Amino acid sequence: MEHFITGTWMLFGDLEALFIFVLGLLGGMFFGAIPGVNMLTLGAVILPFTISMEPTHAVMLYSVIYCSGVFGGAITAILFNIPGAPENAPTCFDGYPMTVKGMAGKAIGAAVCCSAIGGVCSALLMMSATGPIANWAIRAFGSQEIFALIFFGLAVSASIGSANLWKGWLSVFAGLLLATIGTDPVGGIPRFSEWSILNWEYKSYYLSAGLHFIPMILGFFAVSEVLVQATAISSGTRQRMKASMEFPSIVEFWKVRYTMVRSIFIGFFAGILPGIGATLAAFLGYSQAQKWSSRKANFGKGEMEGVVASETANNAATGAAMIPLLALGLPGGALTAMILGIFQIHGMEPGPLIFMNSNDLVWITFAAMFWANLLIVMLGWIQTKTVVHVLRIPFRYLAPIILLLATVGAYALRNLMIDVWIMFFAGILGYFMRSTGYSPAGIILGLILGNLGESAFSKSMQLMNYDFLGFFSRPISGILLALGGLAIISSIWTEIRTSRSPQSAIKRSDN
Amino acid sequence: MKIKHIAAYCLGLFLLGSVASHADTMVTPPDGFGKRPLTMIVPFGSGGGSDQLARAMAKAMGEVAGLDFQVVNKPGGGGTSAIPDFMLAPADGYTVLEHIDNAISAYAAGDISENPAVDWIPLCMTQITFSQIYIRGDEDRFTDWASFEAHAKANPGAVSMANLGKIGSMELVVMDQLQSALGIEVNQIAFDKPAERYGALIGGHVDVLFEQPGDVRSFLDSGEMKPILTIFGDRPSAFADVPTHKEVGADFEALTRFRGFYVKNGVPDDIVAFLSEACAAGFNTDDYQEFNRSKYMHLIDSFRDTEGSIALINDAVKTYQDMYKILGIGN
Repeated sequence: MEHFITGTWMLFGDLEALFIFVLGLLGGMFFGAIPGVNMLTLGAVILPFTISMEPTHAVMLYSVIYCSGVFGGAITAILFNIPGAPENAPTCFDGYPMTVKGMAGKAIGAAVCCSAIGGVCSALLMMSATGPIANWAIRAFGSQEIFALIFFGLAVSASIGSANLWKGWLSVFAGLLLATIGTDPVGGIPRFSEWSILNWEYKSYYLSAGLHFIPMILGFFAVSEVLVQATAISSGTRQRMKASMEFPSIVEFWKVRYTMVRSIFIGFFAGILPGIGATLAAFLGYSQAQKWSSRKANFGKGEMEGVVASETANNAATGAAMIPLLALGLPGGALTAMILGIFQIHGMEPGPLIFMNSNDLVWITFAAMFWANLLIVMLGWIQTKTVVHVLRIPFRYLAPIILLLATVGAYALRNLMIDVWIMFFAGILGYFMRSTGYSPAGIILGLILGNLGESAFSKSMQLMNYDFLGFFSRPISGILLALGGLAIISSIWTEIRTSRSPQSAIKRSDN
Repeated sequence: MKIKHIAAYCLGLFLLGSVASHADTMVTPPDGFGKRPLTMIVPFGSGGGSDQLARAMAKAMGEVAGLDFQVVNKPGGGGTSAIPDFMLAPADGYTVLEHIDNAISAYAAGDISENPAVDWIPLCMTQITFSQIYIRGDEDRFTDWASFEAHAKANPGAVSMANLGKIGSMELVVMDQLQSALGIEVNQIAFDKPAERYGALIGGHVDVLFEQPGDVRSFLDSGEMKPILTIFGDRPSAFADVPTHKEVGADFEALTRFRGFYVKNGVPDDIVAFLSEACAAGFNTDDYQEFNRSKYMHLIDSFRDTEGSIALINDAVKTYQDMYKILGIGN
């Protein structure tokens, strides 16, 4: 506690630190909230400037950007159906329908409060036991357990966001297939990046890096959304969104308290495992909320509980992701890898010694993350009252801006033109997928988890001398695989039963 | 002849730099060059080891030669995604590529068609390091190389090592050389991300780790990892109590990990000479030296000028090609 007070004092008692804190908070939120660019873009842009900063300030800045950026991505998800980052994708499922219904203020309000609650809780957990939690996670979770967790995550989240189970799985499989492009994780053997047909040989250094999820997200969500809206405008079916500013009431939050608590645990747990992070957390949080909710049928149609579930989980994952980074020096995602870089630029290494050598740095970071999450509520409240006015801008003016920013965002990722082409291609594909009931979110989930999952699977198989049953000799991986298998069987069973029920027969005859 | 001349000049500067302060090592550009910012392409992500090196060197070269660099990261494909853009840039010296020895093994295996010693001109190498094998600090089944070797021989194939997986990589080639020389069999587990490799060793999921000391310095300082074998010609003073591979009976010339800077072939000679002088002078600035010390890059001679770099690359290409023939890799 006294460490926390010292950290807070260092943060608010020092004008320079406070300035950087506010800059990070606003910057993260701003970059997160503009469709196309995201917190990673901001992180990469300001990296050279951190060289001349004090290391304490630089690390604090990035951790604040991390907190506010994950939240900022929710705003575009809710207002435009364009998630700022993959971890905001499930927020679209209910956030955007709420906007369509004229409840944008409520959806943003829910996202704001839940991001803050998720973030604050995980910051508290992080402050209380970073060292022991990190040590437990690193020992208990080997490649086998990570693979089993990813399998479980896919099994329970596959069908969300699609018209039915089969289309959901097909979307995820398409994502898994796309994840194989590039090089294989074991031997680095090229896959789909070079081939020869008759006498024509093709080889792409670009494709050997695989498809990055950021241009894919921009394409599947931003570009395809612009196309969907354009079609609606030209056919005269587009509804003008109402810009409401109503904030959710405390009673409404109380109704979803269990979902919040569940998502905090899911988010925190997924966050501490290096490499898993916020995306799986958000999808798992959403799918579990849907499973246990009494208003199951409303999910996907503008149910606030859906927004609550995914936003609580993804922000809970941010605090947790700092744990392996600080305690062990192991970054779990792109932004935490940048933070590791900042430590190194200043000649420091995070790890167990950091609590002894740089206690100030650790506690100013913890304090900053805690306060950043709390301040999200205040800033978010202001945003609710202001940002929804963007909806008043006619879409024909908004569309080119979105496309322009998306192009910049795709290019800025690696400074390679191929990412821009991939984005537009994904956009056109996404348009047709959406009009036929397939799920762009499913593809993204498959793409991200496909890369992580294949890497974990191949390592596991090497470690177990290619004995598949080895997964079941370890309790955690065995249980997760079994649960995943059960989830698949039960979802197929439910799908078959519902499609044979009299009601759906009536529906079919109506068609 | 020209190159020799440049090399001699660089060596002179190098020696001078060790006694003189950097104010004396100002390098003047050829007429008209360096008026606009140069682009430095880094084929790896922001914040990583290559990115940090590029930024440190860009700063040092700015200090000694008044150059202004814009660092651009083009990560992906183990460093190959950046190559097409580098090759498309005009050969005017305004585009500099940072690259590591991956480019050399990729060329030797036929994965890329550009020979880094011919199609590119190395300006300098400024980080050269060696590999080591690490165990957990609290490991009790084996505590040094002798006990590890005995354990590995008693349990062939059961000892697991976290390593980089790419076929033909420096890591796997060195491990092949080591295993065949000593008659041991270690199960190599391919990890694509460094953090996962370190986590796997500390978490007890693998038995040993193959890595370079600068990358695991924090774990060495905290006692969570300790080296049991150095793969280098002689013992660096910082690891005086760790045996080298030759001392334990493996007689091969060790491949090193190196990072340096290149321009395209075709850049005018005077600009190449100027840039390599600037690189040598930048290497000797206090800030850069401090940077290399923080990365454990001062343990062995970490600098090569253009000619030294070409020799280093050609030796490495030959070793890789010989090993690939034995291992049946590449074309």
